[in-house]
Amino acid sequence: VKAAAVGVELPCEAYAAALAGLPGMGPARLAAVLDTMSPACAWTKVRQGVPWREPAVVAALGPRGSEVVAGWRAAAAHAAVDLVWRGIVDAAVGVALRGRPGYPQALVDDIEPPALIFHRGAPEVLAQGARVAIVGTRKCTPTGKAVAFELGRELAAAGVSVVSGLAWGIDGAAHSGALAAEAAPPVGVVGSGLDVVYPANQHKLWHEVAQAGVLLAEAPLGARPERWRFPARNRIIAALADLVVVVESHSAGGSLHTVDEADRRSIDVMAVPGSVRNAAAAGTNALLAEGRAPVRDVDDVLVALGLSASTQRDGRESRPAPTEDDAVVLEAVGWQPSSFDQVALRVGIDLPTLAQSFERLLAAGWIVQHGAWYERIAQGDSRRSLP
Amino acid sequence: MLASVCSATLHGVDGRPVRVEAHVSTGLPGFTVVGLPDATCREARDRVRAALLTSGLRWPTSKVTVNLQPPGLRKIGAGLDLAIAVALLVADEQLKPPEVLADRAFLGELGLDGSLRAVPGALPLIDALEAPEIVVPTPCVNEARLIDRHRIRAVDDLGALLPALRGESDWPDLPPRPPPVVPSPGPDLADVRGQRAARTALEIAAAGGHHILFVGPPGAGKSMLACRLPGLLPDLSGDDAMEATRIHSAAGLPMPGDGLVRRPPYRSPHHSASAVALIGGGTTAIHPGELSLAHRGVLFLDELGEFAPVVLDNLRQPLEEGTIRIARAAARAVLPARVLLVAAMNPCPCGRGGPPGACRCSAHARARYVRRLSGPLLDRFDLRVEVGRPDASELLAAAGGEPTDVVAERVKAARARAVARGVRVNADLPSWQIEEEAPLVDGARALVERALRGGRLTGRGLGGVRRVALTVADLLGDDPPISSRHVSLALALRAQPTFLAHQEAS
Repeated sequence: VKAAAVGVELPCEAYAAALAGLPGMGPARLAAVLDTMSPACAWTKVRQGVPWREPAVVAALGPRGSEVVAGWRAAAAHAAVDLVWRGIVDAAVGVALRGRPGYPQALVDDIEPPALIFHRGAPEVLAQGARVAIVGTRKCTPTGKAVAFELGRELAAAGVSVVSGLAWGIDGAAHSGALAAEAAPPVGVVGSGLDVVYPANQHKLWHEVAQAGVLLAEAPLGARPERWRFPARNRIIAALADLVVVVESHSAGGSLHTVDEADRRSIDVMAVPGSVRNAAAAGTNALLAEGRAPVRDVDDVLVALGLSASTQRDGRESRPAPTEDDAVVLEAVGWQPSSFDQVALRVGIDLPTLAQSFERLLAAGWIVQHGAWYERIAQGDSRRSLP
Repeated sequence: MLASVCSATLHGVDGRPVRVEAHVSTGLPGFTVVGLPDATCREARDRVRAALLTSGLRWPTSKVTVNLQPPGLRKIGAGLDLAIAVALLVADEQLKPPEVLADRAFLGELGLDGSLRAVPGALPLIDALEAPEIVVPTPCVNEARLIDRHRIRAVDDLGALLPALRGESDWPDLPPRPPPVVPSPGPDLADVRGQRAARTALEIAAAGGHHILFVGPPGAGKSMLACRLPGLLPDLSGDDAMEATRIHSAAGLPMPGDGLVRRPPYRSPHHSASAVALIGGGTTAIHPGELSLAHRGVLFLDELGEFAPVVLDNLRQPLEEGTIRIARAAARAVLPARVLLVAAMNPCPCGRGGPPGACRCSAHARARYVRRLSGPLLDRFDLRVEVGRPDASELLAAAGGEPTDVVAERVKAARARAVARGVRVNADLPSWQIEEEAPLVDGARALVERALRGGRLTGRGLGGVRRVALTVADLLGDDPPISSRHVSLALALRAQPTFLAHQEAS
């Protein structure tokens, strides 16, 4: 329900949102409470401090349930539902309650559907087209970032919505790519409240995703990006996707959690292969070793989705060809981050000449510099449009 | 009776003349030292008493007052013991005639057995004295002879001093001047395998006096490289050696055999160092810090990221000006501090750092680490080199590096070119002189412009790159104008540390 006006009669979404804002009210507890009674009744019960006897709620509350309920009661005593609702209306945020019209169809049949979801932008986009989640590590290489950007852009251009988490690194690059295509609407799922931009410097990306597509959050407004919220967020990313693509992942990390959630839902997972020397590709290479399908380019993803491969890809090389000497240096840089010193040892020419080669290759877009590290890149054009 | 003796005390790294007055009169037996002595100086009474008695002299049984003049200056240490003893002997009329004190100054600490012991800061102390003849303890004679304004008398104990003063015996002969010490060669650059970029950066730093920052994982050889830097520097020239010697003498550091510090000093304080330990200071007496002890040499700060940020920020002004002005309520001093700063740090808290994507630190931990290093301090480093742990295969394939003496020859030649420009090293070249001394060819100018536009270089970094490029040209024996070869290398050796690039890029 789009929060359009505040009448005397508050909608049940208002009570649900007020319940979601209580301390210690995670997704599981909220779902258990709202499964047993209407939001308005539940709110009254919380305010009166009536103990919960329903087995599902008791199980969700756990061993220290009475403390949690006391905390709810204390918080509810100071909370006014109409103020919560006004805050939501003022923030131009919509609320979708499970079982009510407006709840995304894609989540209805999920094994762990969020009881309540907050959205900004156009939630209608969730009803159309295919969706691919592009996830990966925040600590990625420039190559990983470029690959995520290209995949995001080409998938969006092919009409596929990109679902991701708006984090640093791969997530953000995928959405930047999707936005650059100005085609299929992007879907962002965040771990904090919709009014708490995290990471703080992704402000522009949040705004643009909400403008062009939709931004979803399970957390109520004002919720901090607490650690436990991100695994819960990852399950929504997996639930919304028809296919999950992992671009770069360390041997342990949040994106592998998204893979687990996708496995629980029998959603296919594909991974982008990386160099065996790249620590940021250890997780994705392990996924490939398990037998997941590799992603070499966007066609692999489109074919897996049952869509026809894109045909209008531009494979022409627009960069000026390197000179003979520069080509030797380029070869020595290789396809993983290399330092000036490593290249110097591999090539063995004098350092001023080598430095000159680096400058020429940088200027022509054959390599990129990241701090003290240089990396060769394949497509000259994508990097230039990276944020 | 009254007697007055010339001596000196330390203030910072300089000596200040002090007049020791002793007054012996009738009254209740007692001994008072007035004139702002510190605790050690006040204890002179007990040392002098014991020294006189063991040397067969008498301790006056009357009222003795010793005044240290000027009274407003804090007198530190035991260096006034000898002057107090001599003043007392003359005032007590055990040493006659009083004229023995004329045109003489006395320095030295007394042992309980009457022997004379070395005092720290003999060189600046003697330099502060105008008396034509100075009596010093024998161990200080080499330092004392570095200044040839005075006639130096060296004695071992009170027993030898008194007959000489009375004219009953000749002054003991001065020990022969020891030959100049050939310093033992430090660690050699040839031991470093691979690390071509770091070795080149080290050579440039030595030739141009550019501060250098090594970033790399533990065990990559950062400290190994840093401790080879002093070996590349030429011997100190006369004035520089004298400046360094004065500071080392004042700080009581062990001195080379002939008294003169000829090799550039190398100091590497631990990262727990306090601001005062690094910069110098103290509440009443001002002591030189590590920065001054490294004057005209190398200051190595290992684990730069572990130093307290407030301590590091204290370095900014001295690095710029080459001196530290310390002001306290009770004292103020100007300490010299012209150093070549070498710093090393891990790329991130986990230390794995290195290539993008390899580090597993949380963004928060990394941001906290980055905050420890202020931008203005980082800007002082014109050379920033990422030192990686080389692959085993690369290590074995790497040619054995050039030894220190070969590189030091090139450094010497490059430094001579800087001296011809009127500066000691290129890093000292004032901004207005850069365009004149190191004009850029068009290609080089285009490179610099691109780096500026692309955000790789700040306006402040531009001067640094041009100075480094000039040093590169000097080392290669190329004459200005500066070509794109020189600028390219200067840019490549000034990479933004990767942990900072992470921040901006993600």
